[in-house]
Amino acid sequence: MNLEILNPQAKTVEFSVKAAPRLRDWQGVTVGLYWNIKAGGDYALDRTEQLLREKFPGVRFKRYTGSVGWLMRHCTAEDADRIASEVHAVVGTTND
Amino acid sequence: MVELERRGIPTVIFTAKTFVDDAQRTAAHLGLPGLPLAVVPLPFTNQKPEAVHAMAEAAFEQTVAGLTRPVEEPKATERHVADERLTYEGADALAAWAAMNADFLARGWSDGFPLVAPTERAVAAMLEGTTRARGEQVVTLEPGFGIATVEKIAIAAVMAGCSPEHMPLLLAAVRALAEPKMYIRNKAMSTGPHAPLVLVNGPRGRDAGLNSGMCALGPGAPSAKNSVLGRALRLVMMNVGHTYVGVSDMDTIGSPLKYSLCCAENEKESPWEPYHVARGFAREASTVTVHFVYGMCELYDFQSTTPERLVQVFATAAANAAQVGTALWLIGRRADPRSKTEEKEHNTLFLCPEHAQVFARAGWGRTQIQEALYQKARLPFSTLMLTKEPKAMAVAHPELGWLPDHPDLLLPVVEDAGCFDIAVVGAAAGRGAYFYGAGEPVTMLVDE
Repeated sequence: MNLEILNPQAKTVEFSVKAAPRLRDWQGVTVGLYWNIKAGGDYALDRTEQLLREKFPGVRFKRYTGSVGWLMRHCTAEDADRIASEVHAVVGTTND
Repeated sequence: MVELERRGIPTVIFTAKTFVDDAQRTAAHLGLPGLPLAVVPLPFTNQKPEAVHAMAEAAFEQTVAGLTRPVEEPKATERHVADERLTYEGADALAAWAAMNADFLARGWSDGFPLVAPTERAVAAMLEGTTRARGEQVVTLEPGFGIATVEKIAIAAVMAGCSPEHMPLLLAAVRALAEPKMYIRNKAMSTGPHAPLVLVNGPRGRDAGLNSGMCALGPGAPSAKNSVLGRALRLVMMNVGHTYVGVSDMDTIGSPLKYSLCCAENEKESPWEPYHVARGFAREASTVTVHFVYGMCELYDFQSTTPERLVQVFATAAANAAQVGTALWLIGRRADPRSKTEEKEHNTLFLCPEHAQVFARAGWGRTQIQEALYQKARLPFSTLMLTKEPKAMAVAHPELGWLPDHPDLLLPVVEDAGCFDIAVVGAAAGRGAYFYGAGEPVTMLVDE
């Protein structure tokens, strides 16, 4: 006996974003440290900043969090524009 | 981070091991599979600074590599099956149906209970419940950006056990999920047990046989029409919105409320105008309200005969510091960064008819109850901040920098009195329900 049924899973809208070119060297680089304000993320960024300073002297840092949100601060398009204009790379804590 | 990559900025994100699949799937949905991750063994939350430092140190090579090495796409994890029709074999119809259910479980398409087979004939019959065309796209549903056609919604309705009369209600509920103010992406993917509470008002709910009285939230035969509608909405979230447990639904413990949570308002026994009229809809209209909730607490009281005393009891349920939404206003508002729509944290109260009558006999309406609860449901600032990041309050409310000097100051658990939503549900005896909400309810007109 065959049972033919309709597939319940919806197709999805496909998006495509090209990854940014990666850093070739660290000379003159400013790194953005983005915290979504969840507990502990700031400690991870603190230590990462310290380690990057030791390994790549001269690298500068800027701290960010999102302009909207509550338990998590989110990055708006305007935030992303501003960050992109101020730094060359970003380390983030956004995945818990 | 994908938005920064789009702007030409290389990024890397710390990600706890348990969230790697989620992060990869999310990045893929947003168009950049392979977004670099620095994987750490545990979430940073609930960790002492030195433990977080150690995890950041251990992930440092990944952090540097993420910013300097070319981005590679991971192996595909997509579960989508291209075939629009699937065939299952068995010695008899029951065996074929069992094979279908086993396969749906394996694919992650099932809520765990046996599903009705969405045959062409069953789906065609379900489509009789709407005037919309089978192929019409109703919405795009996050987090997976699933294309919610009328047909896919009807398939979910069949699988859940709905009748054609449910279709207009389900379509309205699905449209509610996709409203920018719902910010479904957050609620679907969270580690919190977000369950869509569905409240139906108006004649279409009665036509569909929804229960508003005894045991309206089930189980049992009187609420069967409620149960299947709530179930269908969960199946839509899964198979249309691609909210899959362990992949994009990262709920820590889960909740039985997530299977199905649906009823109608008991308009007949309510002393007030129906809930949807209070929200600005015409009395003769039919509406579906969806409010994501974290959990519920009984509002038991057989003693009180005055509104003041009932409010005193209800306020003890509202003043629950362990509920994530309590006084979240102190650290900002839930907000979708794309649309910037902000939500206040609401809580829904289902008052039983007897409690509603206690208020009504004293001349109280919803507004008086809301205001009294707002005044009574308060906790000390220091208690409310036990579960909140102090720096989040400093960012959201720099003007409240004086509060830490007043730890015993009593503060309201919600942003304003309107954050208590009140409907009348249930049968005899003084037992209502308090739902700890996630963001605001969204009400949609049933228009087809």
